[in-house]
Amino acid sequence: MFSLIENEVIKMISKKRLLFVFAILIVLISVFAYGQNQTQERTKAQLTQRMGITATDDWRKLADQQLIDMKNRLDSPYRGENSKASLRVRMEQLQYNLDQNINPLEQSAAKFTTRFMEQSIFLFLPLLIIMLAADMVSGESSSGTIKLLLVRNVPRWKILLSKYLTLIILEVIVLFFAFVLSVVISGIFFGFGGWFAPVATGFKVLAGKLDSTSVLNVPQWNYSLMVYSLAFFVAVVVGSISFMISVLVKSTAASIGIIMSTLVAGNFISFFLSDWKVTRYMFMVNLRLTDYLSGSFQPIEGMNMLFSITVLLGWTIASLIISFVYFTKQDILV
Amino acid sequence: MQQPAVLELANLRKTIKGKEIVKGVNLTLNPSQIFGFLGPNGAGKTTTIRMIVGLIKPTEGSVTICGYSVAHNFVKALSNVGCIIESPDMYKYLTGMENLLQLAAMDKKISKQRINDVVEMVGLQHRVNDKVDTYSLGMRQRLGIAQAIMARPKLLILDEPTNGLDPAGMTEFRKLIRKLAYEDGMAVFVSSHLLLEIQQMCDVVSIIKQGSVITTTLVQDILHDDKIEWQLNDPEKAITLLREHWNIVAVRLKNDTISADIGQHSLDKLNEFLIREGIALTYCSTKQHTLEDLFLDLTVGDEIV
Ligand SMILES: Nc1ncnc2c1ncn2[C@@H]1O[C@H](COP(=O)(O)OP(=O)(O)OP(=O)(O)O)[C@@H](O)[C@H]1O
Ligand SMILES: [Mg+2]
Repeated sequence: MFSLIENEVIKMISKKRLLFVFAILIVLISVFAYGQNQTQERTKAQLTQRMGITATDDWRKLADQQLIDMKNRLDSPYRGENSKASLRVRMEQLQYNLDQNINPLEQSAAKFTTRFMEQSIFLFLPLLIIMLAADMVSGESSSGTIKLLLVRNVPRWKILLSKYLTLIILEVIVLFFAFVLSVVISGIFFGFGGWFAPVATGFKVLAGKLDSTSVLNVPQWNYSLMVYSLAFFVAVVVGSISFMISVLVKSTAASIGIIMSTLVAGNFISFFLSDWKVTRYMFMVNLRLTDYLSGSFQPIEGMNMLFSITVLLGWTIASLIISFVYFTKQDILV
Repeated sequence: MQQPAVLELANLRKTIKGKEIVKGVNLTLNPSQIFGFLGPNGAGKTTTIRMIVGLIKPTEGSVTICGYSVAHNFVKALSNVGCIIESPDMYKYLTGMENLLQLAAMDKKISKQRINDVVEMVGLQHRVNDKVDTYSLGMRQRLGIAQAIMARPKLLILDEPTNGLDPAGMTEFRKLIRKLAYEDGMAVFVSSHLLLEIQQMCDVVSIIKQGSVITTTLVQDILHDDKIEWQLNDPEKAITLLREHWNIVAVRLKNDTISADIGQHSLDKLNEFLIREGIALTYCSTKQHTLEDLFLDLTVGDEIV
């Protein structure tokens, strides 16, 4: 099995596809970081103009003011538990900024790296994974080399499993590089710190309202880790579905086309067909897992993290079963 | 215990999309035998081979390789097989050597030394480190052969193997196949359109037409079936004379040409006799009955279906 996986990795490297993926990552991250940098400059300028403070020096005054204000609100007897919890979290963050002397308007490599993945998880990351997964099997079918593999004294399921495991390895590599490249490139713009700043998480959406009773602060590195773990999960899901298409369709172009259009269609659906109940079971509308962490996402009433993960797992398992059954039974006529 | 045949096909049938493509093929291949599988385009050769190596499942019948059923004991059965199917497809973005290493990694008994040896055997040593992308068809065919014989299989299956080889390559290839069969005891299954190739290389030939094997013979038997052709001034008289004096049945081919199988008789004596009887001989030749004649006799006039 090990040598089979090694073979697959060698092929993947020789095809230069992985290199291509890295190139795209580098370009995109650089553009994104540059853009963030510009935005930050502009925000600072606007703040200075509007409030007459120099954001770089006077942010402490503002924070002190906000902190006192919040404390008053917290002591008010008319406040519900819900808003008290989020106030407390907000205060913790301000206090941290004051203690550590961190300007909250300043970007940091840690913030950027996390945000980059949050923005990539539903489209950009899946597209990268599709580029790798969609021709793993169909590539061999269209070039005829599948015959070379299937007439060896190795059972078909082993060949397919080695390909699937290779895909998982590649997914890890892609995420690892996305992380490292984000840190390095954004670090150059914003400095490499920010890993211990508190980030609020634990939001729930109950009956159409944001429920923040269970909100708490976690350090940025911890939050990043959660985001990248969810991203890995999404990569595995999208990888498995693309893998299945790649088994079922004999041409690489067709298999990339099918899966990409499905994905893009999914983004439409979550906007336009959100009251159609069935859409919530589509994998495409469930990919924004990281938004559950920050509490900003609920495309369709009643969806939550557990629901989305269950749906995605269902898709993954179904894809794998279909891939393996079909691959081991099919007649190879190429 | 008697050793099992290297390859045994029993009533092999395949129906694809409602059309029966292979209609009950039976055959047995023994070690050191070179077997030719000859048939016109679309006869079902490649389909039969795909069933042998388990790429497609037979609708009916069974394939047994060295005693192991391909359907039930795929891994053991396929451990004894090396093959090229339809065309020698390789990874174009790898070099020839990288291709061989990939495939060798799937089978532990192939050493680095063995790979170098087979590369030499097929005469690819100067180009083996170039990308397959840059290979000519003949070079890819050679690489395909190298890949097929690498694991020293007991059964070598080659679908159209000489496609694209130059004359020198063909001769080398024939020599190589002979050596593998007669010295190393490999059984070789060659499918081809190239009648002459099969005739020069194989011991046994099966002719397949529209999915059925219509004849299986020793190549030797066909080739020894010689006929003589005479061109002369009075064919009717010659036919009568040959029948009455020598008991030879001759037939008239064209106006002035007759043909006959003279069996054990001496051609010199016959010619002397005919001249003595006053017949003027213009031309006389031994017409070797070739596989091509048999092939055309059996398959000519059929449409490709
Ligand atoms: N995928 C397929 N679907 C339907 N029919 C097929 C398929 N593959 C082959 N056939 C049919 O099966 C028949 C036999 O094909 P096969 O490839 O076995 O012929 P062959 O003897 O190898 O011919 P050739 O000498 O041209 O290589 C042909 O009539 C062909 O049309
Ligand atoms: Mg063929």
